[in-house]
Amino acid sequence: MAPIFRLESVTRHYGERLALEIPELVIEEGGIRSLSGPNGSGKSTLLGILAFLSPPTSGVLYYDGKRVEWKERSLVALRREVTLLHQSPYLFEGSVHANIAFGLGIRGMRGEEKHGRIEESLETVGLGGFGHRRARALSGGETQRVALARALALAPRVLLLDEPLANVDRDSAVVIRAVIAGLPARGTTVIMTTHDPDVPGCSNGEVIRLEEGRLSRSRDEVATGRT
Amino acid sequence: MDYLVESLKVSLSLILALDPELCQAVRTSLYVSAWSVVLASLMGIPIGLAVGLTEFPFKRSVITLLNSMMAVPTVLIGLLVYGFVSRQGPFGGLGLLFTPAAIIIGDALLATPIVANLALSSVRGANTAILPTAMTLGGTRFQSVLRLLSEIRFGIMAAVISGFGRVVSEVGVAMMLGGNILGSTRTMTTVIALETSKGEFALGIALGLILMAVALAVNIVFQILQRR
Amino acid sequence: MRQQGTNKGDDRISGIPARGVLLLLALAIWVAPGSAALAAERLRMSTTTSTENSGLLRVLLPPFEAKFGCKMDVIAVGTGKSLKLGETGDVDLVFVHARSLEDKFVAAGFGVNRRDVMYNDFVILGSTDDPAGVRGAGSATDAFARIAAAGARFVSRGDESGTHQKEKELWKAAGTTPRGKWYLEAGQGMGEVIRMATEMRGYTLADRGTYIAYRKKTDLVILRQGDKGLWNPYGIIAVNPARHPHVKYGLAIKFIEFVTGEEGRGIIANFNVDGEPLFFPSSREGP
Repeated sequence: MAPIFRLESVTRHYGERLALEIPELVIEEGGIRSLSGPNGSGKSTLLGILAFLSPPTSGVLYYDGKRVEWKERSLVALRREVTLLHQSPYLFEGSVHANIAFGLGIRGMRGEEKHGRIEESLETVGLGGFGHRRARALSGGETQRVALARALALAPRVLLLDEPLANVDRDSAVVIRAVIAGLPARGTTVIMTTHDPDVPGCSNGEVIRLEEGRLSRSRDEVATGRT
Repeated sequence: MDYLVESLKVSLSLILALDPELCQAVRTSLYVSAWSVVLASLMGIPIGLAVGLTEFPFKRSVITLLNSMMAVPTVLIGLLVYGFVSRQGPFGGLGLLFTPAAIIIGDALLATPIVANLALSSVRGANTAILPTAMTLGGTRFQSVLRLLSEIRFGIMAAVISGFGRVVSEVGVAMMLGGNILGSTRTMTTVIALETSKGEFALGIALGLILMAVALAVNIVFQILQRR
Repeated sequence: MRQQGTNKGDDRISGIPARGVLLLLALAIWVAPGSAALAAERLRMSTTTSTENSGLLRVLLPPFEAKFGCKMDVIAVGTGKSLKLGETGDVDLVFVHARSLEDKFVAAGFGVNRRDVMYNDFVILGSTDDPAGVRGAGSATDAFARIAAAGARFVSRGDESGTHQKEKELWKAAGTTPRGKWYLEAGQGMGEVIRMATEMRGYTLADRGTYIAYRKKTDLVILRQGDKGLWNPYGIIAVNPARHPHVKYGLAIKFIEFVTGEEGRGIIANFNVDGEPLFFPSSREGP
């Protein structure tokens, strides 16, 4: 399969501090990739770049074979194919329904079609009938699941997940794992950071390891050490 | 005590009788305040957003400037606008001096820094995840900023209400630019100033009470609106 | 697909600040002045605080407004400021009381068609204990000399109004320049100055009209009156249309004719506070 992402000499600085330095990285489309490494190793920084949210300080990113120009106009179209689920997702004020409707409305979806898509994605994460709930009053696990549903509803080509299993209850974790495992079959490429060894994908060796902002050579199993 | 009781009586009798001059002053006050706050919001909210969401050189100085502009005395703004709209000034041909429009201009300039500063504080106090979240869900920068604005609407409304409170209660601009013309630019505050100058304290206090009641009513309406 | 703005309908999150602004707009439009009030032709006159605060304009203007279907916008400030507004063309006519300044105003070409309208007089007010002995003075000038000599508290308008002009004339005639802790320049209207003098037990110079209107609110009494030097004539002047083409000269002249004509003179003569007349119409040839 063709690479969905290719990075060349990408660096990212925060002020003086070098947060990320990747001479070359190719990520194929399809399947589930996990991104591992201790806290502060640059995982979230890399996801921010892959989500087209923050440009690298230097270097080139190719998406679907095309060089990414970090211009707002072209980024909007790219972001509609790649969605990032933050580690502590932010749900908007208003109902759960409204949260999911936001991205769909932007894509011009209206009426019954939109409503159906919202219900469907809520059922996927096991929260059918939650549409009317006030989003900002949900528990941690429910919040994570609604945020996942909000991303799923958009049927992104790539879903980036930042620690989707941190801070969630056991039941939610079970649901989230199952949903993630089913994503490649729906045509969504998954790239996720996690400390959790039970996540699908981590077991088949598709691991990108980062340490202090650099790729580490080893392709062996995920380090489980939490820092 | 008698004095206050007397004022309250006068005030109630004026309100109950729907005294036409009083009603006119209340109307004029609301009219100029509402328009000036609309203008101040149209200028101040984008300023607050722009300063809060972008990085540029001398940003700190701009923020300090915005802050100090909140303390500009009303008479100074009155004087400045007077210079522009008087027949001698650059916009004299429009004949704006001593019209409600002149007060609206002055009050809008007065309220803009307040709206801008308070909008800026709400932007800076907002969750930093809002913009990236809206953007990763496919929003354009504009749509995402609208989303942010919606998330911080309480702060924005507070900014607008503060602006309204400032202009509805100020007297310097209204007096200098409006001229306290009966039936045209006489506002609640200039009536109070006039009645005090005539020694009619009871009437002045009565009007002060009405002013407070009107300000309170406006606030309550906005509170209800926010709750919904 | 690019959509401006956020989603609508059942989504319940939308630009809510916009709703507040819309409400404000609704308020602004709802309380906007009626179209009739905007349509009427407006004549703008600057005048002294004494004519407005006394209540004279409330009876003098409505008949004129009804007759000519216009609306008078009155800006009540001191004589000095009134003339300044005429000079800059911000008003259509001025109605003031400071003869020497009025003559200068006309001579400089700022105004035309000056007419005497009415007169009253100035009175010297003070507390009944009269520490400077103004009651025993031989003239208004002597009264001012005594106040200065005694260093008794005097509250001046200090605002270049007609009353302030008169006061400065009197100090000059008394051969003194008022200066010192006893001399307070208030920079306020006649009413405030009477009030301040009342609170401070000081002397002041006031026009009789304002004093009568305030009599119930002060315990100051008239200590000196009737001198020729205390004469207070009011004049009305149209702003020169040659200098300021935008002024409503025609209507201004109509108003001048009205107040100096039969009807206006009648209204002025009949105007009184508690049965006491405040102003006397000038005779056609001048007082």
